[in-house]
Amino acid sequence: MFILMVLSAMCPVVFIISLLFEGIDRKLHARMQKRIGPPIIQPFYDFVKLFGKESLIPVTAASGINIASPILAAASSIIAAGIPLASFATTAGAIGDLILILFLLAASSIMIMVGGSSSGNPFAAIGFARKMTMMVSYEVPLFISVVSLAIKSGFSLAYNDIIQFQIQLGSCFAFAFPSAAIAMITFLTCIPAAAGVVPFDIPEAKTEVAHGLLIEYGGPYLALLKLAKSATNFALTFLAFTLFFYLPAIFKGNSSLGYWAILALCVAGALVIMFLTITVPRTIFARLKIGQAFKFNLVLLPLSILSLVLSIVGM
Amino acid sequence: MAGETKEVEYGYSRLIIPIGPVHPALKEPVHFRVSVRREEIIDVDLRLSHAHRAIEALAETRNLVQNMYLMERICGICSHSHTTCFTQAVEGIGGIQPSERALHIRTLIFELERIHSHLLWLGVMAYEIGFDTLFMYTWHVRERILDLFEETTGGRVHHSMNTIGGVRSDLTADMVEKIAASMERIEKDTRYILNVFQDKTVEKRLSGVGLLDSRTAKELCTVGPTARASGLNMDIRKDDPFAAYESLKDSFSVVTRTGADSYARTEVRIYEVFEAINIIRTIADKLPSGDISPEESILRLINKIPEGEMISRVEAPRGELLYYIKTDGEGGIKRLKIRTPTLANVLALRHMLVGGEIADIPVVVASIDPCLSCTNR
Amino acid sequence: MKIGYMLRDAFWSLFKKPATVQYLTKHGEGVPVTERYRGKMVYDRDACIGCLLCIRTCPSGAITVTDERKVMFRVDRCIFCGQCMETCPKDAIGFTSDFEIVALGREELVVR
Repeated sequence: MFILMVLSAMCPVVFIISLLFEGIDRKLHARMQKRIGPPIIQPFYDFVKLFGKESLIPVTAASGINIASPILAAASSIIAAGIPLASFATTAGAIGDLILILFLLAASSIMIMVGGSSSGNPFAAIGFARKMTMMVSYEVPLFISVVSLAIKSGFSLAYNDIIQFQIQLGSCFAFAFPSAAIAMITFLTCIPAAAGVVPFDIPEAKTEVAHGLLIEYGGPYLALLKLAKSATNFALTFLAFTLFFYLPAIFKGNSSLGYWAILALCVAGALVIMFLTITVPRTIFARLKIGQAFKFNLVLLPLSILSLVLSIVGM
Repeated sequence: MAGETKEVEYGYSRLIIPIGPVHPALKEPVHFRVSVRREEIIDVDLRLSHAHRAIEALAETRNLVQNMYLMERICGICSHSHTTCFTQAVEGIGGIQPSERALHIRTLIFELERIHSHLLWLGVMAYEIGFDTLFMYTWHVRERILDLFEETTGGRVHHSMNTIGGVRSDLTADMVEKIAASMERIEKDTRYILNVFQDKTVEKRLSGVGLLDSRTAKELCTVGPTARASGLNMDIRKDDPFAAYESLKDSFSVVTRTGADSYARTEVRIYEVFEAINIIRTIADKLPSGDISPEESILRLINKIPEGEMISRVEAPRGELLYYIKTDGEGGIKRLKIRTPTLANVLALRHMLVGGEIADIPVVVASIDPCLSCTNR
Repeated sequence: MKIGYMLRDAFWSLFKKPATVQYLTKHGEGVPVTERYRGKMVYDRDACIGCLLCIRTCPSGAITVTDERKVMFRVDRCIFCGQCMETCPKDAIGFTSDFEIVALGREELVVR
């Protein structure tokens, strides 16, 4: 019961912070291109505007799945982003462990995939095939790199335990162990693929397949899908910061700093990681083809297995 | 396309994708029906004339002065090429020879337009491969040229510089100096763009894509940089000089490559920008003096032009542009026929696309530099 | 091997002035036009002699004759080519730098 209350209290916070993250990302991206860019609260305007538009469902679509999947995708993304935030509030017990968070993130991508392809458009069918290929290539290194962390902190996958381990250790995972450093590199390199930004935004390429899976969505469903993507980005960067670079641990425990100060520090850290892994690649790289992206992500697989082996050995 | 038997393997996984008329990859409306099996393209079908405005029919209802402005509005990017070709044809029928200064000013604006068109195309190509930043950067460089146009001719896109027998507005001495000074800046920026186009992610998208060997290029009558990138050495500025190119023969060279893929076409266009900068510097150095347009009023001039027919061709930024004009002796036009370069190049698309991937479609279509408002006039 | 060639340039652009201006969202922002720019036309009635040569050369038919043998310009049909300015033997037509030509009805878009 308490868990449900905390989670539902976190939902508006996740909503506001993830849309703010998207706004800051767009503003920085525009400034790097010598433009002025939209105001930072532009995603809020977009959300409200899209809810005011009419939504058309094509005749060839399986309308039940088409309508349900944006709602499910947005819900699972928001919960996946809310669990790490809520875990700071309760020191007792665990609201959810890493398996749940990563499953919800993957489920939101699968919901987008299924909903997009259920609209009967040939572009969406191509987007579906591409997204399946991408998911196969980036989900596996992502999972394995997180598992090697869990092995270090006493064979437990609970999110709280990993953070407590860093606090007891007095320093962050990425600085302490070489296996965790390799796992960090793998995780950070998988973030552009999981977030769907250039160079890996192949399933939703604007110029090739005219937005692929999102092509038949409009109005409130498009707003929910964009919210799902923003929440996924926020969840990934927040996870990356707290799992690998939990800086408050260096300041010797959370008794001296308040809960809100630690939360603000983690959000700021997630912002820095978002700048490095989402905004900068979006600006300076071109889009890859699906065969090239698949080969690139397969390079990450040996790296993640290496980090797993090193953590078992004890380094 | 119709009437030839196509051997297509029918499998259960064959999709027909419509690219266009409205598509984010295309700047102008054209319709390709692409048959695809998984990610491989099997067949391409083409349909044009979505932007048909009946310009050739409209030209028969206007006199020669009004037609000049009609020709300019066929295309926004290569507008000066159209008017140059038209006035050359009319001057040929009437036997009017413009002064040397007028010809040199015409050539100067012509080469400036070539630079602006190639920079625009580089930005569009960067956008097609997903590289938004390079697109913004290239168009920022192009803004300097548009500012130059606005200072000298009064319009950023439609210059209205040509008149029958010469040019309309003169270039003062400090305008010429300003043009020569900004060429330094543009050369530096173009060198930067050349380096970015050799970036690994960009090169992976462009090389090996859209191959067109030189024998097929010659059979399908491709023109312009599309043909020059397949090894054919054809350039109207050297083969059949018009305007002031006879005296500028030694200040530039024709750029050819043998790679025959999209990367070669990109390289040809970037190096053509460098050659154009050389030409502009040469003209700015030795611009001859004199007056720029004939003394008579233009209405009297066009009434003196006899009945006759003429073909004139110029090297527009996209290739060879050809005009056929038949006048009726009273200042009007009996028949006008325009053959634009994209009309010649668009047939090569089928050969380039079959056997490639879907991800190559925007790259290949953009690499022939399609100007479809010229094509379906 | 060059990868991420634009990184340095993109990063420093964060701190420099942007190339765009907030044209309509902030009052008074804009980019000035040059003196040869062809905006809305201006017509000197007293200098006009009524030769009507401009009507014969206008490509879009924007110039029409009025009762007192002077002319009237329709700005909504004008394509701003400037041929009338060239053709007029008395220099009665000129072009200003006004490009924000908006009106609430076609009657306001006429220059007499």
